[in-house]
Amino acid sequence: MRALLAFAAFLLLAGPAGAQHQHQHGKPAAATPEAFTATPAFGPDGTLWLARAMADRIVVVRSTDLGKTFSEPVAVTPEPMNLDWGPDARARIVVDPKGGLVVTFAIFQDRNFNGRAFYARSKDNGASFGKPQPITADATSQRFETAAVDPSTGRVFATWLDKRNGPKARAAGKPYPGAALAYAWEDGEAGFGPTSIALDNTCECCRLGVAFAGPGRPAVVFRNIFPGSIRDHGVVTFKDEKTPGPVRRVSADEWKIEACPHHGPSLAILPDGSYHVAWFTDGSARKGLFYARADNGDTPFGAPRALSTARRQPARPYILANGTALHLVWKEFDGTKSTVRWQVSHDSGRQWSEPRTVADTEDASDHPLLVAHAGRAYLSWLTQADGYRLIPLEDQP
Amino acid sequence: MKLHRLLLALLLAVAATGAKAADLQSFGRGSWSKLRAAHDGQPTVIHFWGLTCAPCLVEMPEWGKLSAERPDMRLVMIAADPVPQDPARVNDMLARAGLGKAENWAFTDRFNERLRYEVDPAWAGELPRTLLIDRDGKETVLAGVAELAEVRAWLDAQKKR
Repeated sequence: MRALLAFAAFLLLAGPAGAQHQHQHGKPAAATPEAFTATPAFGPDGTLWLARAMADRIVVVRSTDLGKTFSEPVAVTPEPMNLDWGPDARARIVVDPKGGLVVTFAIFQDRNFNGRAFYARSKDNGASFGKPQPITADATSQRFETAAVDPSTGRVFATWLDKRNGPKARAAGKPYPGAALAYAWEDGEAGFGPTSIALDNTCECCRLGVAFAGPGRPAVVFRNIFPGSIRDHGVVTFKDEKTPGPVRRVSADEWKIEACPHHGPSLAILPDGSYHVAWFTDGSARKGLFYARADNGDTPFGAPRALSTARRQPARPYILANGTALHLVWKEFDGTKSTVRWQVSHDSGRQWSEPRTVADTEDASDHPLLVAHAGRAYLSWLTQADGYRLIPLEDQP
Repeated sequence: MKLHRLLLALLLAVAATGAKAADLQSFGRGSWSKLRAAHDGQPTVIHFWGLTCAPCLVEMPEWGKLSAERPDMRLVMIAADPVPQDPARVNDMLARAGLGKAENWAFTDRFNERLRYEVDPAWAGELPRTLLIDRDGKETVLAGVAELAEVRAWLDAQKKR
């Protein structure tokens, strides 16, 4: 009896722990899919803040020496949570002009990938975070929450993909493909104010890109569903804080797909008012990674320019305006290594430097991200082999 | 004695879970060339699917039916989720689709780029995806949900050669 008890205990203990290493013996690991991301933000004082999603929790660390050393992690999630581990999801952090921190993230509520978006604030310069609160009262499903600080007003804008209108439409016997682009503004101590829907029937599984066209005027780029299940990109620019403008199509790639591409776009707006978008598509009109620009918020986007070639799996673009310079990075694979390729433009995206490799790795990696402070732009990249790196980009203005 | 019986049941349950997962093979770096070598010279249908791919889950039972209808089909199923999934759930889906006895693999390496590159450098990761490989190694790619009539016609053509 005693032996049996010991054996049972051994088996139960060996279950999950053993499973972690099973892949070495040719058996799939039993672990829950693991979130593996690091998202940066600079504070006004030059402190680099990172939101790290690690398995079932989120922590924030800070560096005062440009990523060489980091503080002890501060917990954002007080207990283990079933984090959204989707390939385009990430916990994010923004710093408002007063130094207040807002972390946003999502969890999976069920096995059907219905999400719940949360935010947590720190009012003591990152020493602690308040209990995470849902970003919206509706509990249907939210994912890909993205917060951004309006550089003119300091007010925090949040936007996400929200499924609240799906069940209502279907109850009325109407089809409802995709999700809705939802948004809310920071509302003082109370967190985020009421949720509004900017647009129905967007694609439901790709990250969003946000930039500001002027005071109270966020612009959001997202994968939309155009008639005929075409999942190409669109930009919505707000006329004011409460009035989203019409959808402007970035490119007619004609990607007809009844599925989730898990590849979201990136957007930057320069001081001259020009718009710059980079995105992935597998459409019938074009396949691969592309960049396009528009002179302002009203003109159509110009012809897409291909970044790299399809045989190098170019993906995960990120574009950043730093003063009048535009920086563009993406990830590609050469058969052995994943590399981050970088281009810079000093003439509003008309001419670009030759692509250069600024970092590489021989194992799994997070998406490459860009971040700037005090006139300098940096690549922010988490890799399994080398951990987190903040890499200064050359050719600065 | 009651405790004894409870423990025995517990042990059997743990053992059963282990046996169920045993059929699923880990697809990691280098697996593709081994898989191809194992089927060399044999017409083979390779279907890539994913637990996180809704159209794949809708299509799966159709593959289960085709598999039952065509014992002449060498079918290899590969779960190619971009983030490796719980093998118990992968097995559960395969069993529900009537594909529990097929040759089943699942991506277990987070370095998804590398696994895809080994299969096809130009594969951007879209699912589902079907590869028809004839006895000379010639590949036909069916991107998206496969037209199974096309697969049947291909199988018939392989017999006549």
